[in-house]
Amino acid sequence: MDEGASRVSRRTILAGAGSLGASTLAGCSEQFWSRAEDTGPEQVELTIKTLPADDDAVAAKLMSQLRENYIAAGIDATHEPLGRADLYRDIFLEGDYDVFVIRHPGLKEFDALRGLLHSSFTTERGWQNPFRFSDVTIDDLLESQQSSNADRDESLAELFEFLEETAPYTTIAYPHQVGGVRPDLDVSISPRHPLEYVDVLATERADGPRDGPIAIGVYGEGLTNRFNPIVVDQNSIPGLLGLVYDPLARRVPSEDDVVPWLAESVSWDETDDTRATVTLHEGTRWHDGAELDADDVVFTMEFLEDTSLGAIDGSVPAPRYRARLALLEGVTRIDERTVELSFGSTRRSAAARVLTIPLLPEHIWEPRSEVVAEHRTEAVLADNEEPIGAGLFRFESVTADSLELAPFDDHVLRDPVAQPEILDGESAFTGIHFRIDPNVGAMIDALLDGEIDLTASNIPPSELDTFREASGATIVSTQSRAFYMIGYNYHHSSLVNPHFRRILSRLIDREHVVSELFDGLAEPAMSRNSLVGITDDAWDDNRASSVTTFPGTDGEIATQEVRSLFEDAGYQYENDALIE
Amino acid sequence: MSLVAVALELALIVATMLVTGALAMIGPRRLVASLREFRWRLEVCALPVAMLAVVLVIRWSTVDITMRLERRVIGNNITPLLFGMERALLPENPVIVLQSFQSPELTSFFVFVYIYGYAFLLLFPFLAYFVLDSMDDFSTLILAFTANYAIGLLFYILFIAYGPRNFDPMLFEGLLYDAFPQSRMLTNRVNQNTNVFPSLHTSLSMTVFFLAWLTRAKYPLWVPISGVLAVSVAASTMYLGIHWFSDVVAGTALAAISVYIGRNYTANGLLEMGRRYLGPHVGGLTGYVADRLSAINRFVRDRRS
Repeated sequence: MDEGASRVSRRTILAGAGSLGASTLAGCSEQFWSRAEDTGPEQVELTIKTLPADDDAVAAKLMSQLRENYIAAGIDATHEPLGRADLYRDIFLEGDYDVFVIRHPGLKEFDALRGLLHSSFTTERGWQNPFRFSDVTIDDLLESQQSSNADRDESLAELFEFLEETAPYTTIAYPHQVGGVRPDLDVSISPRHPLEYVDVLATERADGPRDGPIAIGVYGEGLTNRFNPIVVDQNSIPGLLGLVYDPLARRVPSEDDVVPWLAESVSWDETDDTRATVTLHEGTRWHDGAELDADDVVFTMEFLEDTSLGAIDGSVPAPRYRARLALLEGVTRIDERTVELSFGSTRRSAAARVLTIPLLPEHIWEPRSEVVAEHRTEAVLADNEEPIGAGLFRFESVTADSLELAPFDDHVLRDPVAQPEILDGESAFTGIHFRIDPNVGAMIDALLDGEIDLTASNIPPSELDTFREASGATIVSTQSRAFYMIGYNYHHSSLVNPHFRRILSRLIDREHVVSELFDGLAEPAMSRNSLVGITDDAWDDNRASSVTTFPGTDGEIATQEVRSLFEDAGYQYENDALIE
Repeated sequence: MSLVAVALELALIVATMLVTGALAMIGPRRLVASLREFRWRLEVCALPVAMLAVVLVIRWSTVDITMRLERRVIGNNITPLLFGMERALLPENPVIVLQSFQSPELTSFFVFVYIYGYAFLLLFPFLAYFVLDSMDDFSTLILAFTANYAIGLLFYILFIAYGPRNFDPMLFEGLLYDAFPQSRMLTNRVNQNTNVFPSLHTSLSMTVFFLAWLTRAKYPLWVPISGVLAVSVAASTMYLGIHWFSDVVAGTALAAISVYIGRNYTANGLLEMGRRYLGPHVGGLTGYVADRLSAINRFVRDRRS
């Protein structure tokens, strides 16, 4: 954007200087004024940011198609690869992008849409409205789907329809969760989430439990640089922080409701306003041995809301969990083990999202409330090198290419009496050893050589041939909620126009992408709900969307057709360039 | 295959190449003779060697800081510029042209050249110039390498640049890490994937070749060997999808500048210049280092006599 601005001024100056000379000739003053006053139309410029192929080969390929299609449509598109931590920083903290392509981890509850889109989050950092989008109708619908006083399905249906028209972002496809597993391990999933790891660890092995950790392969840059659970600008091992930090309750994929986790019980009261009384297990401890009590719960909620704990005017909210916390109206300590949370008129299924926020130990994070720079607390800058949580696993050791997690024996859920169903079955391993490879090829070779048991990082479909030819491992693939999305910056002069965003959203051939780039291991987003990140199995009325009609064939746009789309929306072409 | 295994394999293959090269081009007699009087040889070039060591240690020990500077403070991503410039200026991207000749044999050849050939090309001149009657060429080599690394580091801090394979895997293939993914364990220790402009592979190889040309009277056979190897290394960086054509051009320019510095300046002269221009504080520090070094020299000499 800066570049564009400077060009304008340069042109203005040149035009001014040139015309000044000309205007000394009689009769040219009219031309001088019109040149000096008007800078004239400019070609639409878009900078698209995504990960380099090292981090996400599929995103880089999607990017390639998108860039070429934008250019063919007359847009001056530049494509900028950025490492994960830096990309997240640009998108979620700085808002420094025009268009981005990333893999979203998936929306676990409809209410997650509120965090993505509600205008009250436009100034917030993190996944809270990274588009700076604002629309009053959408705000209303987001509020009514959350409220227990309205018909949720009706509000959501209306919301999806409205989002189809306004296209603040668009979903391309839902990739399967693909990984490799050694044949001696009877595992059908490549884990990403804490409960999936728990599942994998409980797997029975043919030759009995192993006296050692399970070896899990991951790859990527800077995976062991930061372990801060409340920030967004870091790269991390999938699911790691969820193994170390535990919430009051967890969302279980098979059930609609959350199951109590560090909470022994959660009792809901929906008679008037929505309230939850949460009782912690007796004897709950942090990894360092300190007791976890109701104060820690209250602290976590207040701290995430303002990590400076009131030290400065305004607040320094944590970049994560803010949208969930906004549902919380109050939190009160009843006794050492009990807290009461009140949610106003929010419906229970949305309110339960607050219970899934990981708890932070007050004795470690309270000192981090210190304000160390302008509107930055120690908490949002800390690397948190030795995370202390209350999760099933505690940090043991970490190097640049490995990370060891040991079972946390004092965890209340490891007590055979308290054990919930989900933790059934003896763990077949004593902990987790993560082996960190520099790239996907080295990770796959480590698997085929038997140096790791299974993989937990995304494997691009182009790498799967290596597996199919080899005998040392099998491919496991499961559907997931994660999706590749294209996000638009509402502050960009062209992207503020919904018609423009709608046309842009059509410039990627979703079915072609799934068959060519994903090797069929993905579901294209073809319905209204799936375009906003809600999978088809989570919503009944999967109405097809016109946004998914691709103006072209086999991934390449039909230039004339796209031009007429833009021209119908009021845009013009000049020397094949789309101008605004 | 672990890092140790990869490194061991590299060491074995390169050692074999070095021994063969040394026997054929230097000859056993000269090698043995120079080993017998290695002390004065080391003393003479202690300062340039120390400078190279300092630059390498700085490079290695400040990775965290330089990465932070490069990515978070300066944040100057020139990748789109490199791609756009080559698209505008050249009828077809040279990386695409080279990759169109792709075959398993050619890939094996270029992977070999990129890793083993490159290591050999860099190490052999150390042997070759060390055994000469005068240490001038050796000092020139070390100074030129130091200049390469120092200037290269500066560019890496100033610019974020991803290679073709990382930028667009639809247009460019990442052949090296497809064929030999473990090599990333080695290259990862040496460099990050955001440091491709200029290509240090190209600049160091070309430096060796330019110096080979300048010392052609002493090692006539080394000129064609290093020439073929250097050009192959430069081509391999593009064929394997690691570098842009612009990186190779910039790398070659950097080589020319480095050789110029190596030929026209001495380590002592550079330190003297530093002392004069950078003021008493920094100058005092480098002076102190120089004093210490000559004290060590004296100490070694005294012990010998």
